[in-house]
Amino acid sequence: MSKLKALFHPIFIFVGIQVAWIVLMAVWINWYLKNSRKFQEFAQKIRPDLFADEFNWIILLEGCFLMLIILAGVYIIFVYWNKQARLNKLQSNFVSSVSHELKSPLASIQLYLETLKYQEVSKEDSEDFVETMLTDTERLASLIDNILASSKYDPKSMQLQFQPVEMGAFIREVVLGLKRQFEERNCQVKLEGEEDLILLLDQRAMRMVFNNLIGNALRYSPVGSPLTIRMQKNKKYCEIEFIDQGMGLDKRDMKKIFKKFYRVTNKDSQNIEGAGLGLFISNEIVRSHKGQIRVFSEGRGKGSVFTVALPLNRVVKRKAAVK
Amino acid sequence: MAQPKKILVVEDESHLAKGLKFNLEREGYVVVVAGDGEAALELMKGQTFDLMVLDLMLPKMGGIEVARKIRETNTRFPILMLSAKSTEEDKAAGLEAGADDYLAKPFHLPELLLRVKGILRRWEWYKEPIHDQETFHFGEMWINFDTGKAQGVSKEFYLTAKEALVMKLLISKKGQAVTREELLEKVWGYDPETETRTVDNFIARLRKYFEKKPQKPRFIITVREKGYQFNPDP
Repeated sequence: MSKLKALFHPIFIFVGIQVAWIVLMAVWINWYLKNSRKFQEFAQKIRPDLFADEFNWIILLEGCFLMLIILAGVYIIFVYWNKQARLNKLQSNFVSSVSHELKSPLASIQLYLETLKYQEVSKEDSEDFVETMLTDTERLASLIDNILASSKYDPKSMQLQFQPVEMGAFIREVVLGLKRQFEERNCQVKLEGEEDLILLLDQRAMRMVFNNLIGNALRYSPVGSPLTIRMQKNKKYCEIEFIDQGMGLDKRDMKKIFKKFYRVTNKDSQNIEGAGLGLFISNEIVRSHKGQIRVFSEGRGKGSVFTVALPLNRVVKRKAAVK
Repeated sequence: MAQPKKILVVEDESHLAKGLKFNLEREGYVVVVAGDGEAALELMKGQTFDLMVLDLMLPKMGGIEVARKIRETNTRFPILMLSAKSTEEDKAAGLEAGADDYLAKPFHLPELLLRVKGILRRWEWYKEPIHDQETFHFGEMWINFDTGKAQGVSKEFYLTAKEALVMKLLISKKGQAVTREELLEKVWGYDPETETRTVDNFIARLRKYFEKKPQKPRFIITVREKGYQFNPDP
């Protein structure tokens, strides 16, 4: 049964159509060359005015041309079909990983709530449980943000509210918001570089970018490994680098990592949670700020550096306006 | 006072692991937590546990693989699988890999505790010897309930945990009919989703192992309108 199914694989169908097409073409040319004379003689008896005496190339070529068009049509259908099939696969992967993602923090919250309901819990424990639940709700909220954003954020329709933001303070605030996560992963954060830059940003959107990048660095690094966030400026851009010493990426992954639903699949990362949305959204958001997001890694196991480059020139204008 | 039961919780989500540990300890169990599959197997080597609560999505080595590895050497160590995957296929995959029970996340705390208790009770009952020796002989065949190893009609093989439990229950009541309901309750425990048909499927499989003509069974016979009966000397 599965062998039969495999025969209907699009590749086989495609090859089959190609072969059929070539055969058809050969038959057509062969038939035409052999019979055109007889055919014409026959036709001439009925409508002699329609036919010239010599061999009619135009009809042969017309036939070939028609078949070429059919081939092109099949090819286009195949290309689109293939694209759609890939999207469907990504989509179903996405649904299963998202449901896992949503359920994990939910399970944790439910467990603690029921613990509070059914067990006698000391005051310190209950405070600790509440803190844990709050972290889980944050995780849920940021995931839901990501999902909503990815379905809604078409760069053209993205409605960002730009306002001047002091970058040093902003990054420190983001890091502080993730304090508990850093503690859980026993991660030392180091902030380096220029502090007194003011950029025009949509704060909410950019916080999502930074949360995603920091969250990834934490999840894809071993417990206890440090994270460095470095800010520097060059002529046109303010560059914020997130340098981790985690799993790293190979070349193939680096190319694809910003695609929607794409997730790095290997033995080490197979059970790390994620929906394949964070980097896609981050990329969209940074691009809508006229910036760039890049990744560099020396390879698997050698850590990675994600760089967010945001344009400076808009700052100057705004600064002037502020003054 | 009996020794407290020792449970190994294998869960990478630190929040869940902490909550599980807290609650299980409240119930009087001794709890050890492992953060990934490899660590769990390492712990299993050094210590004896009475039960494993195993998450399916784990770093390094997934839950299914952990269960398979354990089943390679120990066919009946009780495993309760926890997973955010809740489709029937996921559940079937988990049970096939060797889990005794499967609970989908998010779960209710009382249900979890009930299932843990149920598995441990079944395990206790299973550990009671039928005879002085753990190997039970019938015809030219035998079953060693200690290791799960058995001699069937054609070859030696290992029974799965549930198959061993079914055989054990039938043999412990040899000569009497055991109802499907009793088999369900003792072997599968509290699980409203399991149907009596499941029992029939298991019996069919066991007959293939132990009967020369599974269509005309001699050892594991059907008692009409009652259930099944083990007949040691047909």
